[in-house]
Amino acid sequence: MLRHVLQRLLLAVPVLLGVLLVGFLLMQVVPNDPAVVRAGPTATQDVIEGIRRDLGLDRPLWLQFALYLGRLARGDLGVSIINNMPVLEELGNTIGPTLELMLASLAWSVPLGIGLGTVGACWRGGLLDRAIMMVSVAGVSVPVFLLGLGLVWLLGFTFPVLPFSGRAGPLWTLEGLAGIILPALTLGGVFVGPVARMTRSAVLDVLGADHVRTARAKGLSETAVVLHHALRNALIPVVTLIGLQIGFLLGGAVVVESIFSWPGIGRLAVGAILSSDAPMAQGTIIILSVGFILVNLAVDVLYAVLDPRIREASGP
Amino acid sequence: MKLATTALAAGISALCLAPAAAQTRAPLSILRVIDADRYDPVRSTATSAAEVIFMLADTLVSLDFDMKTIKPLLATSWTVSPDGRTYTFDLRRDVKFCDGRPMTAEDVVYSFKRWIDPATRSPVAARAGFVKDIRAADDHTVVYELKEPSSDLLYQLTLSFASVVDKAAVEALGQNFGVQGFNATGPYCWASWTPRQELVMKRNPHYTWGPPIYRNPAPQIDQIVWKIVPEANTMMAAMQTRQADVTYYPPHIAIDTMKRVPGLNVQQQKNYIYDVFVGFKVNKPVVEDGTIRRAANMAVNKDAIAKAVYFGNGTPMHALLSPTVIDYDAKAASLMPAFDPAGAARLLDAEGWKPGPDGVRVKDGRRASFTLYGIRNDTGPRITEAMQADLRKVGIDMQIQLWDATVAWGKLATQEFDAFILSYPYVTATEALNLYFKSTQAPTPNRMNWKDAKTDALLDAASTANDPAARTEANAEAQRLLTQANVWIPLVTQQMWLVSGDRVEGARPHGLYGAGLYKGLDLSLKR
Amino acid sequence: MSETIALTPEAAPHADFAVARRPSLLRALLRDPLGAAALAVVLLVVLAALLAPWIAPGDPYGGDLANTLKAPGEAGLLGTDGQGRDMITRLLFGLRTTLGMGISAVVIGCGLGGLAGFAAAYYPAASGVVMRLMDVLLSFPAILFGLALTAIVGPGLRAVVIALSVATVPLMARVVRGAALVVLRQDYIEGARALGMSDARILTRYVLLNCLSPIFVFVTLRFGQVILLGATLSFIGLGAQPPTPELGAMAADGRNFLFFAPHVAVLPSLVIFVIVLAFNVLGDSLRDALDPRLRR
Repeated sequence: MLRHVLQRLLLAVPVLLGVLLVGFLLMQVVPNDPAVVRAGPTATQDVIEGIRRDLGLDRPLWLQFALYLGRLARGDLGVSIINNMPVLEELGNTIGPTLELMLASLAWSVPLGIGLGTVGACWRGGLLDRAIMMVSVAGVSVPVFLLGLGLVWLLGFTFPVLPFSGRAGPLWTLEGLAGIILPALTLGGVFVGPVARMTRSAVLDVLGADHVRTARAKGLSETAVVLHHALRNALIPVVTLIGLQIGFLLGGAVVVESIFSWPGIGRLAVGAILSSDAPMAQGTIIILSVGFILVNLAVDVLYAVLDPRIREASGP
Repeated sequence: MKLATTALAAGISALCLAPAAAQTRAPLSILRVIDADRYDPVRSTATSAAEVIFMLADTLVSLDFDMKTIKPLLATSWTVSPDGRTYTFDLRRDVKFCDGRPMTAEDVVYSFKRWIDPATRSPVAARAGFVKDIRAADDHTVVYELKEPSSDLLYQLTLSFASVVDKAAVEALGQNFGVQGFNATGPYCWASWTPRQELVMKRNPHYTWGPPIYRNPAPQIDQIVWKIVPEANTMMAAMQTRQADVTYYPPHIAIDTMKRVPGLNVQQQKNYIYDVFVGFKVNKPVVEDGTIRRAANMAVNKDAIAKAVYFGNGTPMHALLSPTVIDYDAKAASLMPAFDPAGAARLLDAEGWKPGPDGVRVKDGRRASFTLYGIRNDTGPRITEAMQADLRKVGIDMQIQLWDATVAWGKLATQEFDAFILSYPYVTATEALNLYFKSTQAPTPNRMNWKDAKTDALLDAASTANDPAARTEANAEAQRLLTQANVWIPLVTQQMWLVSGDRVEGARPHGLYGAGLYKGLDLSLKR
Repeated sequence: MSETIALTPEAAPHADFAVARRPSLLRALLRDPLGAAALAVVLLVVLAALLAPWIAPGDPYGGDLANTLKAPGEAGLLGTDGQGRDMITRLLFGLRTTLGMGISAVVIGCGLGGLAGFAAAYYPAASGVVMRLMDVLLSFPAILFGLALTAIVGPGLRAVVIALSVATVPLMARVVRGAALVVLRQDYIEGARALGMSDARILTRYVLLNCLSPIFVFVTLRFGQVILLGATLSFIGLGAQPPTPELGAMAADGRNFLFFAPHVAVLPSLVIFVIVLAFNVLGDSLRDALDPRLRR
């Protein structure tokens, strides 16, 4: 078990190096001059040249890269080209709200999705199943911005019961809790569908499998069969799905953060990349990718926990 | 179970605390759509920086609500030498920085020298004129000496770029001045900034020297929070549901509705100057032909754009400059071709631009086609698409390429495009024309590559005139020349609408360099 | 990631599956009313997109600024947009662009991903390198790819198609590899190898055919996701440029009028919704039809 985890960790190292390389190369080919961005619309050529020298952008590329890697090795992600803010500080400020938003969204959408999917699978073909599938298929198909704007219109504007203009405070305050409801409903709303669908397929697959048939033949109750045999095995693809969908969720988060003025890392990344703020863009790419790798690692470990065959196969 | 108990206890204590918290008034919240990169007066040209800096810092002189009259601020009075080269400012004695230190003439001299020092890399240094020397004659007198007269100097000194800042804070914070901290003599003091989210400022307890354009020279609000709300619908709903107090960035489509919402106060600043225009790179193929530029000017229906894109809350422009501005020339305006698509078609026909097989005109084997760059904001796509449709009707093909705001400035500094669309705030004709049309300003901000000796001479004459009449005459000549050359297609003057909730008293739209609340004085909260 | 990602082995198709399935697929699909309806919608949508230039009542580009934001019924059956253009016309042409974008991204992404997945499954030596490469690709959420690509090649459909394709490749590779590994474990593959069948023959004759079920399900699901992701990218302004009609960009364009003229944003969003819904329902039906054990 431990060996399995260590093996996965080691395998993540080349992945991370690849991420760093791809991230750096992407930012280098961006045909946008940070000095011009910083100088603003009415600056003359002299001012732009001066800023370019100040920022070290007139140095050869390899030297810039080497300096960047050297700082990175010391844990220094640099400062924003645009506003001189330390990248690490900005990342620290924005990662929390995004995690908050994602966790709040997952917290209600994943259990609901798994529940709906399981119920649907057990009553396969029935009216309830059809209704659940309709709802979840609709959830899979609805554009996230339509859901967000619709919720603002309904619960913020027409019946003004919930706030929607940003993060009012930490989650443990009443304002903070109220402020996250609409964003989390929006982001989670597009996630219930995929989870329910995948759970249903997975449970159905497992219900038809040999060992479940055996369990049924042994005279176990249907509830016991579903809970102990089917759902447990079915959770494996569901966990994969959730791991793989973190990127999808992040895409949704960018839109949700923009609609609800949520101060998250998605908006930071978008702004940094679009303004060619290389250190900031690098920082967000590294953080997001590391997060993604960690999630996948966690998915692997969960497999091992959920699937006894792997545990045995890679055991000591 | 334990968790539930804890949550319950937290809930109860929060409820008990609520009445106590309600006794201190919630801060005044101002909504806007975009944040600035930094709040260093001399290092940002963004209106989103200026609107904040006006409240954090003061200038020697201020501008009245008419956008024309100079009024005192840090300087109680000033004299100009007969040759127009020496300005002597007499400063107030009672001014203190946010940290309590009294302000002296040395602080003014330091701030101005920092503004024009090449090492500061200020993109707005040229606005200070050709400075010979700036010095403190005594603790309360500043002498501003120029190599040649600058007819626009006092107006430029009202802008946020000429703010007086604290040397100690600038030196301590370095590149982080206006990013992690600030110290100046404005009515409000820097508290905190979370980029792209909010900027918080607190009342300057010492402040009693507001400009005479306000009834009360001291600030009356304890705390102001500037919030960024990029989404138009969210912004509107937040105002209507009282989640925020003030905005002067209401979506154009929503202004008429907001006027009807009980408890929302909607006011217009009629003297606001913030123009939208299309400029041509006059040395690029196709648009180098004055006929094409003139025909395009005639083909674009500016009234329809103002009505449809701005929902009537934009003023169509029929002159190079806004009629509100100092030195606006009515005769130049009469030279601007009127909307006349049929006339444009006839003009093109007469000049040899004949319709090609795909409807686009051709002359000497060259298609009447050009590429326009612009910024993707709320109006950019709609204005350009409308123009594109108008131009197609007379056989001119306009390709559109819009860029995200931050990328756009880089793209607009290149020579890749033939025309561009921009909007800009200005105070005087001298400022606007000198900024954009001088040959020395190419390639940016003179993105038209307009290099004309006569224009240069007129603009120099205007900016160095010691006599207002001479300045007006030079500016008028320049406007006539540029109008006839159709270097720009002026489109719309944006309007400023200040929306405030029923908690707010004393709000009045100002709009200098886009700053709707200017110094933020006279504002108070009812509850 | 590794061997552990295989779909549940219990779902392994039977050896005779490939032979028995073919003739009854369409019939099984049509027997399911929802599936039949979805198929009809998909065909209709594709037809409408193909015929757009001939059936559209107006000009997709030229607008009438005196007639903007008219509600459905007020001007034309579905009203006009912010430029005064007929909504039906815009929607038909938008459908064309959006479907083209989705199909290109899915074909490119699934084609490359499928090749990578089969290669990784069939040649264990290549597996490590290929799947590690896929992991790197997966470490970049599609939205970041879209952003970075936009910065490089400029905003537009090209950037979106590339980003969506790249984001699809590793997902497809994982699904295909997982399914192929299960098939490769079956006795009949050993049999085929023993009979001296070539790798290519085994891959096409047995492995590919027996992997079709999860692939079909993935592709249909992915088509929906790609359309939605494309709409998201357009919503942030990275997609089709004005005045190109594209459903996601149209929805983004209309969002500023949401409270005043909701049809401008809602109609294209609804069309997106219907397309994605149809493909998802079709995917479900296909899955049921393709899996003999669940077909009753």
